[in-house]
Amino acid sequence: MMQETIVYNESIEKVLTNISKVMIGKEDVATLSLVALLAQGHVLLEDVPGVGKTMLVRTLAKSLDCDFRRIQFTPDLLPSDVTGISIYNPKELEFEFRGGPILGNIVLADEINRTSPKTQSALLEGMEEKNVTVDGNTIPLKQPFFVMATQNPIEYEGTYPLPEAQLDRFILKLKMGYPSLQQELMILERTAKDHPIEQISAVIDKDELVNIQEQVKSVYIDKNVQHYIVNLTSGTRRHPAIYLGVSPRGSMALMKAAKAYAYIHARDYVIPDDVKYLAPFVLSHRIILTSEAKYDGLSTEQVIHSVIKNTNIPIRKEFR
Amino acid sequence: MNFVRDNKIPLLYTSILYLCGFFLFLEWLYPLQEVTDTSDLNVFILFTVFCFFISMLQMKWWFSFLLKGFALVFIMNSLFMTTYPFLSKLWFKYIFMEISFNINGLFNQEWYELTPLFRSFLFLLLIWLMSYLLHYWFVIMKRIFLFVLFTIIYLTVLDTFTVYDADGAIVRTFIISFVSLGMANLFKEIDRESIRFVWTKKSSIWIFPLIAVVLFSSLVGYAAPKYDPQWPDPVPFLKSAAENAGGSDISSTVRRVGYGEDDSKLGGSFVQDYTPVFQAAVKEEHYWRIETKDVYTGKGWKRSADPNYETQVNGYIELDTFSDNVKTEEHDTVIEFQGNNVIEKLIYPYGINQVEAREATSFLLDQNSGEIRTQVNNVDRALAQYRITYDMPSFAIDKLRKVSLDDPSEINDQYTQLPENLPARIGELAKEITASGDNRYDKVRAVENYFGQNGFQYQTNDVPIPKENQDYVDQFLFESKVGYCDNYSTSMVVLLRTLDIPARWVKGFTSGEKVAENIGGTDESYDVYEVTNANAHSWVEAYFPEYGWVPFEPTQGFSNLTDFEINLDNVDEQDDTLEAPEQEKPEKKMEKEEEKDTAPVVKNNTIEKLDINWGYVAIGFTVFIILAFLLYRKRYHIKAIILSMRFRSKHDAKTYQDAYHYLLQLLSYNGLSRNPNQTLREYAKRIDSRYSSDEMGHLTDYYERMLYNNEISETETKKLTQLWKNLIKRIMA
Repeated sequence: MMQETIVYNESIEKVLTNISKVMIGKEDVATLSLVALLAQGHVLLEDVPGVGKTMLVRTLAKSLDCDFRRIQFTPDLLPSDVTGISIYNPKELEFEFRGGPILGNIVLADEINRTSPKTQSALLEGMEEKNVTVDGNTIPLKQPFFVMATQNPIEYEGTYPLPEAQLDRFILKLKMGYPSLQQELMILERTAKDHPIEQISAVIDKDELVNIQEQVKSVYIDKNVQHYIVNLTSGTRRHPAIYLGVSPRGSMALMKAAKAYAYIHARDYVIPDDVKYLAPFVLSHRIILTSEAKYDGLSTEQVIHSVIKNTNIPIRKEFR
Repeated sequence: MNFVRDNKIPLLYTSILYLCGFFLFLEWLYPLQEVTDTSDLNVFILFTVFCFFISMLQMKWWFSFLLKGFALVFIMNSLFMTTYPFLSKLWFKYIFMEISFNINGLFNQEWYELTPLFRSFLFLLLIWLMSYLLHYWFVIMKRIFLFVLFTIIYLTVLDTFTVYDADGAIVRTFIISFVSLGMANLFKEIDRESIRFVWTKKSSIWIFPLIAVVLFSSLVGYAAPKYDPQWPDPVPFLKSAAENAGGSDISSTVRRVGYGEDDSKLGGSFVQDYTPVFQAAVKEEHYWRIETKDVYTGKGWKRSADPNYETQVNGYIELDTFSDNVKTEEHDTVIEFQGNNVIEKLIYPYGINQVEAREATSFLLDQNSGEIRTQVNNVDRALAQYRITYDMPSFAIDKLRKVSLDDPSEINDQYTQLPENLPARIGELAKEITASGDNRYDKVRAVENYFGQNGFQYQTNDVPIPKENQDYVDQFLFESKVGYCDNYSTSMVVLLRTLDIPARWVKGFTSGEKVAENIGGTDESYDVYEVTNANAHSWVEAYFPEYGWVPFEPTQGFSNLTDFEINLDNVDEQDDTLEAPEQEKPEKKMEKEEEKDTAPVVKNNTIEKLDINWGYVAIGFTVFIILAFLLYRKRYHIKAIILSMRFRSKHDAKTYQDAYHYLLQLLSYNGLSRNPNQTLREYAKRIDSRYSSDEMGHLTDYYERMLYNNEISETETKKLTQLWKNLIKRIMA
């Protein structure tokens, strides 16, 4: 049996190589983050602190030559702390807009569930509308714009869990997970002197990134693959363990993500494998399990896997 | 794949296996001569040899096809179509007629209507198929057991239920089977282990033990004492259940009734067959004669000399069985055969004068036996219809009583023949029976009537066959006392001959059953009689100097239809008038039985269609089952061939999709089915790791592009076809 060699798009491969210099054993999370980035979506990272969430985003930003901003959400954070504020300039006798961290290219929204819903929605509005409104002025966000929000699943006290409708705004929900023993040893080894992030440099620029985002849109997706997507999402609506199934927005997200994933793998068309691989990441935060399923200890990921298992892959087509 | 070719077993050695297959197949053919009406097996064996030889050489398929086809046509031509020049217009016409007739017969399920030509053709075709099949089984697959098993079942069934004695065949089959099984196993092992085949050095290591073991076990088996059957013999039960003919363990063969030619071994039971043979319109009912036989062998009848045929002019038959001294009355009759007449001889009444047939027929008469062959265009042909004018004799009893005893010496020589070892008690019995008679007629009558009074019983089942050193007549007269016309008539002839009265044995049909009355107007009132196979009969003719041959009927339940005139002036004759009604009483009682009496003869002619066809049908059916099974087993191979042919000519998406899906089907048949939720890539990875190749990956990659990206590339098809074929081979290996 031969070892599978994955073919990547050239520019993307450079980015991934760059990231792998810093992040160890996180190739799939890196790839998935790129999927979200290329699909012009945003990522919700759900994991405990200290597993490298920030490092991942920083590395990504540095590799892409992007403006990196970080917002540490706290209960007392105000919307204006996110969007920015107009300050009176006595010299000019005018209010002058000072942009908040949301005006960066890549934004890390750390512990998003710690802040009040009001502040959360300021960020989420920006993510959806691609602009922010401050004092009646609508300010467009920078392109590319990519938010990576993190959420700590352990602590619930004093948190404001994101409502389902808002979770829907994230194209993917990822988990970092702990590194293996070997990987952790390597991490120690690499960071013993100075941090490798200092040594990496940008491999593609912003314009190229925007260009790639445009190209991703034109990746071909065949009718029968679309069928597969729809079969999956409608499968979640019929599943007995699911109280609320995936909305059409979820189908669209899955399609976009699949296109990006295909692009990353140097393909200009989507295959069911892309969809199948991405479905748990795209769909699992868009469903609500029934109480019975929850008490049975089922996770949303498990349920999505069972949906995938029950959905047939299209392998035939009418040729004329 | 290449390594397989290197250690391929040489053709010569695999041919030994094939030769074993050939010998096994011969075991299938040998019994045919005995259980069917196949008259000459050599043609079929020759064709078998030819077909097997051609298959063995492994030529290009079209070439061997041509060769075998040509051989088939050649055999058919030389067997059946010698009358017409090869490939002439008439020849084709004949073929066409044959084919349309037989196809018709096939569709109407009239199996017995099929002509010998067509049946032979089908059988040769069967042999052809078998030669291919066995080549496949023995040489390519090296799977022999199934055929061995079939052969053994076939032989045991034939041995149990038919006359065929498979004692030798089963021993031969045993030896051949086990030698070939041993060899096939070795060859298979060599194939599997990819060992280089070195015949000369290694052969002795296995060939001697193999042969020794097989020979030793067959010798032990042959010599060992055999247990009696552990189960009661199921055969009589099966037979009675199947034929309702009564369980017969006295006679081992039950035959079907009808006219036949071979009378050399008489005896045994038979079953009735009411298939109509012909209908005849006559004014007065009478027996129908076909031929006589003159040499009694102790087991049956033969002719003293080969027939000497003389062509009769204009249908006038110069056959005189009685002299001009006999009073006659002129009659005529029309005989029409029912269905497919296969008796290529004239069936005629006593006193035949002239025959008129529709076709230009020549009649060939053998004076010695009275047999008249019918020929059209110099080919023996059974007539469908003919008209006979004849002088029906009427014998005056008083005159017959007064005949001198001066038989012409040649008559005396020929018709008083008896086998040398004829038991003396037969002659003694004859003297006893005829003690009271003072003239030939009374003596003959005494013998004729003897059977009616001395505890003889007419029956057709449980009739024994004489043992090896037993005389047929002796057994009937003194031991069994049961039998049918052959027993009675033969016994009467032999009894008469011991008294030096010339007598002979006659074969033909009885008058049959009346099916219509008074046809053809008032003055000429003809009755129509239907004669079936069950009316086949044998009786006696005794010679009276000056008058000729006079027919007599010794068989119980049958009446002598010959007209015997009684002169009332003569006192002596009153005996006869008294006798006559006496005789008639049992006749009427047994009228029903009469129909049954018939000659149990194994028929060479195709009246015997049923028997023959069962043989063919059984073999045909078996082969059909085998073929169907094989087709089913090989359905993937066959489809692969079809697809690859289509693939070669067409490169469109649909063809590729079919081919790809066929691959999936094939893999799933081989236990590697794809989960419906499995993507093609995942599946291909699994397949490739299973077969340690990358073919499925490539094929899938192309199919994916086609399926999910509408991409078709003409340039890749050649490579893909190759990959596809390789993978198919790999899967099927």
